[in-house]
Amino acid sequence: MKLTSEQIIDKSAKWVVSFFIASAGLWLLAAALLAYCAAAKLTDPFFLSTFEFFTYGKVKIAQANAFVYGWGGNSIFAVTIWIIARLAQAELRGRFLLITSGIIWNIGITLGLMGILDGHMNSHEMLEMPSEIWPLLFISYSIIASLVIVTHRSRSNHETIAPQWFILGSLLWFPALFIIAWNGLEINPARGTLQAVLSMWFGQSLIWLWLTPFALGVAYYLIPAIIGRPIDKYYLAIFGFWCIALLAPWSVVHHLEGGPVPMWIPAIGTVMSIAMIFPIAVASTNFHATAFKDIGIVWNSLPLRFVIFGTLSYTISSYIGVIFSLPAVAKLTQFSIINEFHFNQRVYGFFSMIVFGAVYYMLPRITGKEIPKGAKSFHFWTSALGVLMLLLAYLIGGLTHGVLAQQPSLDWASSVINSIRPYFLITQIAFVILGFSQLVFVINIWKVLFPNPFQYFYNNSNNSAKNAIA
Amino acid sequence: MNNIFKFSIGIFSALAMAWLAFVIGAKEQFGDLEVTSSVLDENKLIIKGSELYPKEMVGLAHQGAKEYVSLGCTTCHTQQVRLFTEKKKDGTLKVVPGFDIERGWGKRPSLPRDYIFHEEVNLGNTRVGPDLANIGTRDYSDNWLHTHLFQPQLLVPDSICPPSPFLYKVTNIENPNSIKIINEGNSDKPHNYIIPSIRAKRLISYLKSLSQNYELPEMAFVEVEDVEVVEDVEVVEDVEVVDSSKLPDWLAIQISSGKEIYMKAAPGGGLCFTCHQPTGLGIPGQFPPLAGSDWVLGNKERLIKVTMHGLMGEIEVNGIKYNNVMTPPGIPPGSLTDQQIADVLTYIRNDWGNSASSVSPAEVANIRSKNKDRAPMQMWTNAELNSN
Repeated sequence: MKLTSEQIIDKSAKWVVSFFIASAGLWLLAAALLAYCAAAKLTDPFFLSTFEFFTYGKVKIAQANAFVYGWGGNSIFAVTIWIIARLAQAELRGRFLLITSGIIWNIGITLGLMGILDGHMNSHEMLEMPSEIWPLLFISYSIIASLVIVTHRSRSNHETIAPQWFILGSLLWFPALFIIAWNGLEINPARGTLQAVLSMWFGQSLIWLWLTPFALGVAYYLIPAIIGRPIDKYYLAIFGFWCIALLAPWSVVHHLEGGPVPMWIPAIGTVMSIAMIFPIAVASTNFHATAFKDIGIVWNSLPLRFVIFGTLSYTISSYIGVIFSLPAVAKLTQFSIINEFHFNQRVYGFFSMIVFGAVYYMLPRITGKEIPKGAKSFHFWTSALGVLMLLLAYLIGGLTHGVLAQQPSLDWASSVINSIRPYFLITQIAFVILGFSQLVFVINIWKVLFPNPFQYFYNNSNNSAKNAIA
Repeated sequence: MNNIFKFSIGIFSALAMAWLAFVIGAKEQFGDLEVTSSVLDENKLIIKGSELYPKEMVGLAHQGAKEYVSLGCTTCHTQQVRLFTEKKKDGTLKVVPGFDIERGWGKRPSLPRDYIFHEEVNLGNTRVGPDLANIGTRDYSDNWLHTHLFQPQLLVPDSICPPSPFLYKVTNIENPNSIKIINEGNSDKPHNYIIPSIRAKRLISYLKSLSQNYELPEMAFVEVEDVEVVEDVEVVEDVEVVDSSKLPDWLAIQISSGKEIYMKAAPGGGLCFTCHQPTGLGIPGQFPPLAGSDWVLGNKERLIKVTMHGLMGEIEVNGIKYNNVMTPPGIPPGSLTDQQIADVLTYIRNDWGNSASSVSPAEVANIRSKNKDRAPMQMWTNAELNSN
């Protein structure tokens, strides 16, 4: 049988991509478990309270790290490798090194999370894993990123398109952000609140410049690929890309509104956050103008349904985010659980949903096996329900929290916190639903990736025996 | 866009601009802050011989900061009192108390200078728990803090703060290292003492070191009633005092609720006016006045104790002797809640020409917990009050 050029590329990427997706799935489950644990501890503080490993602060931070670096990192590698190879129309290079560095990345995160739970946490946002782990992670990331760029540079078509800019941008931004933060916090540590500015800047930029552009790039790739029509008003995409590149690193500091830093820092953050309306509008126009002309395809194709859920969630909640960055509103909500809304809508409602779509699109092409439609559909509806519940609870709960917290006559624990406890309960239920949904996802992909784990060796030995006879 | 190297240079230079501002620029601006005195002389120099702030942490507190980070306390606690400003008519900014200060979490907004001795700057970004920037200056005893760390729900029943029993050893026997658990309500608990581990001691030492209870040249205390001002970190403008006679809402609410309790002769009321009179002047020779009284305007603890348990025997108010019995206020006697006691005391401290600080429910709760062994109707005597 003669393979098409696409099939040759898919075959070259098969094992690498499978490895990263499989490990991403396991991290997703680990994160779901930790998320449930953390949510349960907010509704009942005595839940597992005798174990120091499971103190709320540790579990919560371990969850965020497992989610962003474990699930996020691995799935970014998997999807990046495949899309870049496909767009370059080149076979994947350096497969062995990619898997080796992937293993190092995963070992690094495992050790890092164990470090957090064991009490070796760092105080910097999204850099909480112990300092000793980071060189390991950085090196393995750099190897993976360089090999992706090698594949990209061996492309046959010189012209690049939007998905490549966004995905490569995200690939390059992470190490740059890391070097800046690492230099300012560990190698040459800043003093006083300078540290807090930098740590906050890194934690927020990571989401805006690593997860966000990646997910946007995937959407730019999948929407036209599935619908079979070019992106509407494609010429705006380049404007959107440079807007994010220029504005995002400035906008994130609006979280310091009123804090012990010079006033210009949050002020510039607020101005830039408002300017973020442009890239949000561009992405929204590009995606939705294209997709909503063929709403039937969106409905019928599961990968696309996931992607459009993600882009819609991105648009709506980014606008909400702009509103919450206005100083008058920020003073009310900035320390409330609305922060959880922002984080979860980015990583669940937007990033993860798009990655789910990409994985469902990619897997049948790589492995040649279909995932049952019912299982995918179940995953979609439970995810959608869980995400909506979670986000609404955090949004309404966050507003309640913020408004009540500014009444000095209300007692803190018995009035302010008690009135948001029902929302914690809702998030706990939402995490159970999400956990189930993610379990289904992981079973779906593992069944396709490793239909029968033992048969592989068996077949191989059989084949070699046959070859020997022939 | 097509050449990966030019592309990287493009995105990195976009990033570098933000780096120049937030890392290099900010460091240039406030990376070299040092200790200073509360006020500067006319040449903007430190006044010789005056106290210098902020104070350096002790070693144990530095270690405690690491424990604080390792237990993830930052997830729920901030350490910053925010700056709230209002634009005045002439366009300058005025510092207003804002709800962080009204809540009693600090006397002034936090400044970069407050953090120069912090190795870990735990500003935090979520307040599921209260702000801790000034936890060291609030009147919590070691007992209270250790009990709270051990099991917050013993002191604050509605708290969702995770207990940390792994930092303590529980025991029944009192010894020099043990700490008596403050145990309200559920006294049937088998263990009465905890022995803090070194980690718990570090953590408490750190919490007690958190204090921004001093004025800095950049920022004076912001009073809830009369608002002072000031400005940005670098630009020093004239300090001006704005007098505002309007009460903040929460205080007005407390006073009006207190007045109701003072005058009410039904359950939930205090029945105070029957003896002390609606005028607050009392009845000469029989019941002492509250207006201008040294007992009312003076020591809050004594006042709270008397309101909680009553008072009997000879006392002296403003130099005049009285000998009578005051049953604990409330119907039935002694039934006033912490909030009600706080309200009624705030009221009597702020009517009939009196003007003194308000009383918060937390202060009442604190004193109630200190005297939890006292029987409800066991009235205080002057000698007992003075001996404490």
